[in-house]
Amino acid sequence: MTDKKRILLFYRREGAAAWLAHLDTMRLFERALSRADWPLSWTVDAFNPRPELVFALPVGVGIETRRDPVGLTLADGNQAFDLEEAVDRLNRSFPKDIRVVDYQEEPATGKGSLMARVKAARYLLEAPGVGLAFDRTFSGGEPVVMTRQQKKKKVTVDLTPRLFAWQVGDSDQVTLTAGAGSTGHLRIDLLLDSLVQFGGLDPSAARGSRVVRLEVILDRFDPAQGIIV
Amino acid sequence: MNRFDQPEYRAMLRGVNKPARYTGGELNAVDKSASFFGSDRDRKVHAALCFPDLYEIGMSNLAIQILYALLNGDQDTFCERCFAPDFDMRDYLKENGLPLTSLETGTPLADFDLVGVSLHYELAYTSVLDMLHMGGIPLFNSERSEKDPLVIAGGPIACNLEPMAPFLDLILLGEGEEALPQLIGLVKEKKRQGLDRQAFLASAARLPGVYVPSFYQVDYEPDGRVEGIRSVHPDAADKVEKRLIADLNQAVMPNQPIIPNIEVVHDRMVMEILRGCARGCRFCQAGFTYRPLRERDRGLLFETAKQLIDNTGYEEMGLLSLSTTDYSDLEGLVRSLLPLTGPRHINLSLPSLRLDAFDFDLAREIAKTRRAGLTFAPEAGTQRLRDVINKNISEDDMIRAARTAFLNGWDRLKLYFMLGLPTETDEDVEGIVTLVRKLIAVWDDLPREQRSKRLNVTVSTSYFIPKPFTPFQWARQINREEMAAKQEQLAAGLRDRRVSLRWNDFSSSELEGVLSRGDRRLAPVILQAWQAGAYLDAWHEHFKPELWQKALEQIPGGAGFYRRERSPDEHFPWDHMDVGVNRNFLREEWDKATRGETTPSCYDLCSACGCQVYMTGVCPGGSMS
Ligand code: SF4
Repeated sequence: MTDKKRILLFYRREGAAAWLAHLDTMRLFERALSRADWPLSWTVDAFNPRPELVFALPVGVGIETRRDPVGLTLADGNQAFDLEEAVDRLNRSFPKDIRVVDYQEEPATGKGSLMARVKAARYLLEAPGVGLAFDRTFSGGEPVVMTRQQKKKKVTVDLTPRLFAWQVGDSDQVTLTAGAGSTGHLRIDLLLDSLVQFGGLDPSAARGSRVVRLEVILDRFDPAQGIIV
Repeated sequence: MNRFDQPEYRAMLRGVNKPARYTGGELNAVDKSASFFGSDRDRKVHAALCFPDLYEIGMSNLAIQILYALLNGDQDTFCERCFAPDFDMRDYLKENGLPLTSLETGTPLADFDLVGVSLHYELAYTSVLDMLHMGGIPLFNSERSEKDPLVIAGGPIACNLEPMAPFLDLILLGEGEEALPQLIGLVKEKKRQGLDRQAFLASAARLPGVYVPSFYQVDYEPDGRVEGIRSVHPDAADKVEKRLIADLNQAVMPNQPIIPNIEVVHDRMVMEILRGCARGCRFCQAGFTYRPLRERDRGLLFETAKQLIDNTGYEEMGLLSLSTTDYSDLEGLVRSLLPLTGPRHINLSLPSLRLDAFDFDLAREIAKTRRAGLTFAPEAGTQRLRDVINKNISEDDMIRAARTAFLNGWDRLKLYFMLGLPTETDEDVEGIVTLVRKLIAVWDDLPREQRSKRLNVTVSTSYFIPKPFTPFQWARQINREEMAAKQEQLAAGLRDRRVSLRWNDFSSSELEGVLSRGDRRLAPVILQAWQAGAYLDAWHEHFKPELWQKALEQIPGGAGFYRRERSPDEHFPWDHMDVGVNRNFLREEWDKATRGETTPSCYDLCSACGCQVYMTGVCPGGSMS
């Protein structure tokens, strides 16, 4: 029986911070939390102790976020922790392009691991001609098969079933909801490649595109409807 | 417009490895662009602090953090950073016709008032040329016009930058903390009064510690040796005096350092606890050029440690110095820091621990969370040769320390040696083998239950490189054949599965030797090597010795000319630099070395090396004497 307090933070990253790899982001969070003097619970491994900190969904290099979830556990005896004040402190400890935009307390038990709770993610893509390319690639509903090198072997993925819904804002903007997490994850780099390959998107437009993860959807999501249930 | 909103910029970042090397935006990075460029632009100085190596190396360097904090501390100075791009980024810039820019605002180097290069090793020279060129700055000081930035250099190897002389407008000799703000003041004056470059350089040359290479003429003997170097400008002194911070407690200690967003080589907070060294190991350049030894107050270090811990969030704190155990109250310092670091899971690391002062109780305290290997740097295998180099470690000390370490659970031993030291014979090389075997025997003789399971010994050897301003500045550097023979002897003697042998690369050590004792005739050599593709030479995987070999054909005798032993009265290319330690003292030390005589540490007896004029630190009249 533990009375450790569990907290979910939601963070936004943009500008320079969008160009960090997942491990860099993790280290950055650990250090910011340490600067802000958060009483984190540490894992027991004596040789390489680490604070208990979990990112719901790793974010790739070059992707901005708007509210990506991070779960953390406080050390015993912090039931009266002033979360609001601590988040303020934390935000002053981040480099300018990272901010916690929302937070909530989690029940001490239940719900399972944060990573397993990830069901889908919403993205914004911005690039000249991306709307048109998107329609060309996906509106027929046919399989969009991409191959990707994974370690030594080649894997093929059909992107169509992983893409749940999308909306073309104007020809330069698309928002989309796609599978994310341990099953049916849609890789955005692969998606952009498919738009080049099948939708006629200019490769340099793809390379210069802006990719924003608007939301990571936890727990409840109906792929068939493309909506949160 | 924000760079990150530009598709071209994003495409560039997607085209390279580790794009965060180039984006800036770290905690405590300074961006004054919102207020700086408006009015009174001509009273302000926009400076680029350049480190001629990758971000991960440069951001691990304390000097960069000190200078950045120092310069940005002035309201009217905006100092940005720029590092050498890796090959992929460099190719991208070239293919797209883009200039090398600063991290903070993406400004091309050519648009700064001042470009300052922090130089820490000779193998960075081609990267300096590359950065200037990619930044849009003409390479030769003689080709720069009024609109080009002033290119200045400083750092530990500033005591002989003759090979780079034609590429630099100005060199700062010694410690920059006081001189640099004075120099910035002169740049402001230049802008205010509309002085031209020559007038500015003349005013700068009057500042102690400032060396304007174009104000000096070098004459050569027919065989290529330097005949003499003389000032050809009324404002340039015959000898350039090094700058020195008399009281380290007054010098800037960054307590809000930039925290890199990506992993760098030394990912930790650092406190410089002392400067200089009292020992006088005869091969060590920094040990002489940073004399005299001065230290920081324990209370000040404690306060800084508290701030650093709060401000950085790092998991490791390094205490920096040439010789940490020379700190007069190291134990007191460490014991005062442990209550700060322990509860926050911070490792305290003490580099350059000297065996003769190694305190195991202390080491155990420090190593509670993580057990580092035990490191000895005897440098030479026999007592005779250790006396020659004035390295004060005895075999008994090492054996005793190893025994205690093994009994306390240590099972990794790292040993550092140099091959090719002056007067070295086969017996000395054999001495390395014998010493390593004796240390292994210490392990074998311990009952199994009193030590760990498996011993791991790493023997790392480098090649002795004679350096300016050391007693060995006259010495000859060995050639490849001699090196190979010594290596073979060592490898044959140390065949043991518990021992791993590591070698330094000979070609790069040879080149380092050539450049470090080099003269201005090497400038075209560096240029040619760079033009042929030499870049990031300090990286083993990028170093191309054949390019340098080819370029050195310009010099009669090639590398051999610079490897040779110098005659007692030969004029050195660096003789117009005054680093405090004088030439007579160094020559006496060289003579003592050849006789195998040692010299006591400054703590025990002042040898009047020349630095007594500073009357500070450990010197007579200083606070530590
Ligand atoms: S003057 Fe004496 S005490 Fe000072 S650095 Fe030289 S030898 Fe050491």
